[in-house]
Amino acid sequence: MSDPMSGTDTPQAEPPFDDEFLAAEYVLHLLDAEARRSFEARLAAEPALREEVHRWEAHFASLAEEVPETAPPARVKAALMAQIDAAPEGPEGVRRILSAWRMGLGALAAALVMVAALVLVPILSRPDFSPAYHVDLASADGDLFVAAGLDAEQNLLLIRRDQGAPRPGRALELWLIADGAEAPVSLGVLPEENEIFVTLPAELAQQFAGATLAISDEPEGGSPTGAPTGEVLAAAAVETL
Amino acid sequence: MTTPAEIETMIARIALRDRRAFAALYDATSAKLFGVCLRVLKNRGEAEDTLQEVFLRIWAKADSYAVTGHSPMTWLITIARNLSIDRLRARQARMSGQGYGGDLLEQVPDSNPGPEATTIARSEQARMNACMEELPQDRAEAVRGAYLEGDNYQTLAERHGVPLNTMRTWLRRSLQKLKECLTR
Repeated sequence: MSDPMSGTDTPQAEPPFDDEFLAAEYVLHLLDAEARRSFEARLAAEPALREEVHRWEAHFASLAEEVPETAPPARVKAALMAQIDAAPEGPEGVRRILSAWRMGLGALAAALVMVAALVLVPILSRPDFSPAYHVDLASADGDLFVAAGLDAEQNLLLIRRDQGAPRPGRALELWLIADGAEAPVSLGVLPEENEIFVTLPAELAQQFAGATLAISDEPEGGSPTGAPTGEVLAAAAVETL
Repeated sequence: MTTPAEIETMIARIALRDRRAFAALYDATSAKLFGVCLRVLKNRGEAEDTLQEVFLRIWAKADSYAVTGHSPMTWLITIARNLSIDRLRARQARMSGQGYGGDLLEQVPDSNPGPEATTIARSEQARMNACMEELPQDRAEAVRGAYLEGDNYQTLAERHGVPLNTMRTWLRRSLQKLKECLTR
């Protein structure tokens, strides 16, 4: 019998060998370079096709059960740990940390949250303020700009929203990710005031050195889970002044 | 023994840049994943380099784990196998027409039994095994060769002594049969 996929025919031209099997060939790396590229272009746009790929990946991974375990030499781990330690953790990394919280890791995330969200209560009279830490939080599109400073003597946090506002029916929530922390901690929902002073619990204020602050888009009243649930709009490392 | 739930927790912590979780995941799974790399590449040096790439990819992509819906070992094995095959294909491109040579291992490395840390969900595995059993033996071997050894159609055809187009037909029929069986 002749091969239904020979030559340069497009897969759509052969109904008997449809997408689910094309996905299997893709997973097995049996497509030639050109077919692979065009399949990958489709993958980016077609969630159903991605699901098909995931299904085949799961089926075939079972075959690896028969592969014997072989301990790699210790130098591989040593090299890896050194590379991980050297990797810079810029705002992109923080965005990744926070987005990890939004996706499927909710149960674990919730279990890790140690401190409940604060309610940011403004201090009405302008206090003496001498910040030891500062952070500028700007969204990538420049629509949101929030500056924050912490007076470490008084555990007093100044939050100044210079630009931007929550989306209609939404809130902006401020998060603290302490140096080496496993979980972001909510500092609360930004109030309507453009500039407020709030007093932080000492245990939170003490975590500002080396920390990262971030702002996420959340439902009104703040994240219902204690972890970021919406888009992370801005994140930046705290500077020690 | 490390359970799938524990491995999943490690991946979640790695997404939060937890280096200890990364080291723990390495300890729990590197022997299995190194085995996968070796099986495809049949070369220790290349398998070591690839294993390193695999774990760097895990470090970088741990947050996308949940999106795939995979069990944790499926996700890890898929990364190890894909990166190994990328490297195998790159090597084949360099050596095209020359066949394999030099320092490649001829045999599968010694098994290192260790704890049963790293199994795919049993039900999934049993189902796949049962469906593979339903294929004629040479067809099942061709599917295994493509997945575990990274054989392409050309290599599979040579190994089984059949024309290239026959091998394509074999494999596609096998995939269709597998699918029928797996969705029964």
